[in-house]
Amino acid sequence: MEQSKVIRKKDLTLLERMYIPEILKGMRITIGQMFKPKFTVQYPEDKFVPSASFRGRPVLVEENGIERCVACGLCSRVCPALAIEVQASETVENKERYPEKFEINMLRCILCGFCEEVCPEEAIIMSNEYELVFENQKDALFAKDKLLVPIEKVQARLDFLRSHR
Amino acid sequence: MSEAIIAPPISSTGRSLRTEEMIINMGPQHPSTHGVLRLELIVDGEIVVDVVPHIGYLHRCFEKHCEHMTNYQQVIPYVDRMDYVCSMNNEFAYVVAAERLLKIQVPERVEYIRVIMAELQRIASHLIAVGTYGIDIGAFTPFLYCFRDREMILDLFEMTCGARLLYNYMWIGGLSHDIPVEFVPKAKEFCGYFRKQLRDFNDLLTYNEIFVKRTANVGLLPADVAVNFACSGPMLRGSGVNWDLRRDDPYSVYHKFDWDIAVGKGEVGPVGSCWDRHIVRMAEMEQSIRIVEQALEQIPEGDVQSAIPKRIRPNPGEVYARTESPRGELGFYIVSDGTGTPYRIKARSPGFVNLSVINEISRGSMIADLVAIIGSIDIVLGEVDR
Ligand code: SF4
Ligand code: SF4
Repeated sequence: MEQSKVIRKKDLTLLERMYIPEILKGMRITIGQMFKPKFTVQYPEDKFVPSASFRGRPVLVEENGIERCVACGLCSRVCPALAIEVQASETVENKERYPEKFEINMLRCILCGFCEEVCPEEAIIMSNEYELVFENQKDALFAKDKLLVPIEKVQARLDFLRSHR
Repeated sequence: MSEAIIAPPISSTGRSLRTEEMIINMGPQHPSTHGVLRLELIVDGEIVVDVVPHIGYLHRCFEKHCEHMTNYQQVIPYVDRMDYVCSMNNEFAYVVAAERLLKIQVPERVEYIRVIMAELQRIASHLIAVGTYGIDIGAFTPFLYCFRDREMILDLFEMTCGARLLYNYMWIGGLSHDIPVEFVPKAKEFCGYFRKQLRDFNDLLTYNEIFVKRTANVGLLPADVAVNFACSGPMLRGSGVNWDLRRDDPYSVYHKFDWDIAVGKGEVGPVGSCWDRHIVRMAEMEQSIRIVEQALEQIPEGDVQSAIPKRIRPNPGEVYARTESPRGELGFYIVSDGTGTPYRIKARSPGFVNLSVINEISRGSMIADLVAIIGSIDIVLGEVDR
């Protein structure tokens, strides 16, 4: 094929062949960079602090000591990864129904945020926790004890949802 | 083309040496195959005689999975995970297809925001392509700068929808969140900053003599071969074919902006070389900046969720919609049987098609050049295998 012939426009001079100008050009940018502020974060020591818009692990909102959730099951139906399991039971509180068992399998959860979107009670919301590491599969099943967080802790996210929806 | 090169070398005594072909595996854990791609190489010494790509290590049954969703909206998080470095563009293609199936007209503001997001994502994706291509060739520094600038784009996305990589942002009929007020000034600031940065990248990598030498005469893909293999995106444009779906099969509001299509011109060697594909990506980033800047200026007011249907039940029928993703033509073919679940979804992924030409363009090259060729195709195995 004609095109595949090697085209050499000109022979390189000795200076060009040593690639010294090229290396110096690269070094100029590198050295300039040394005097600019650092962009990186030393992760385990300095933690990244997410803003209220961040979608971390889903949590259940706890208000006055009990969960807001009314066990309607919408979140478990909408979850594309089938990560949520809800079992409803009756209660004397005026919300009438509460989740007897609420479990999110964090190995399945893909942090999509559909559960937060669909919940009619703003009972399940995405927190700002992003460190999700487990040593075995059992640890990854988050039951109510791990899912419930007091409302004060997630107030920033609730405010964000009100203003951006 | 390769006969002259493969002819056995002549020894000093004038007799030809006996050579033997050898099969070696490159990958699936090879750093330069950009993921889990296995290439079966038939080599004669250092010369590549044949390449057979073996794919499927990352197959996640995306298409089958979609048939078991409870509704059309739930497919979107899975679409994100197809080509994980340009999720926004994947979502864009899927929602365009679904909206054509449902015959929804989305508000202007939604279209503008989608275009802004898609173009920013295109820059982010090309930054990865360019940065890792530098590593393949042996230039480590540009990679770090590319990732730093990409991080700024991800910050913009995080500010908007809360995720940095897999967004679930574009929904059928709208968006999950409106853009925050700080987004527009920040994005404008980024555009200004990134223009300067692009010049640096060109100095550092594109016109670097070493880089040019490694890529200019390597992996030549003539235009007719590219068309016959259905290549698309920078692969096709690098061969000098002026074809971009944003202009040639218009969708969304791309027709309202003033921008150019970058094609390879053979500046440093024959047209269709690895360098041409690289320069097309560099030029495309600049054009994306132009589109983003114009869109940020013109963005209208409105509600981004008003057109989201409460219940998605398309009439029985089928639709194919294609969009220009950073890698080329990304199309979704959706068949509906009238229920709330898609009957069949087929994704036409550009990476898969572009990869198929590798055998054609790497025959007769050296093994070291093969690394440059794979890098210039810019595959993402998540999308090749789905
Ligand atoms: S968290 Fe919300 S959506 Fe899920 S069951 Fe409880 S109330 Fe219903
Ligand atoms: S974030 Fe998504 S995947 Fe995770 S529990 Fe909620 S709906 Fe399911």
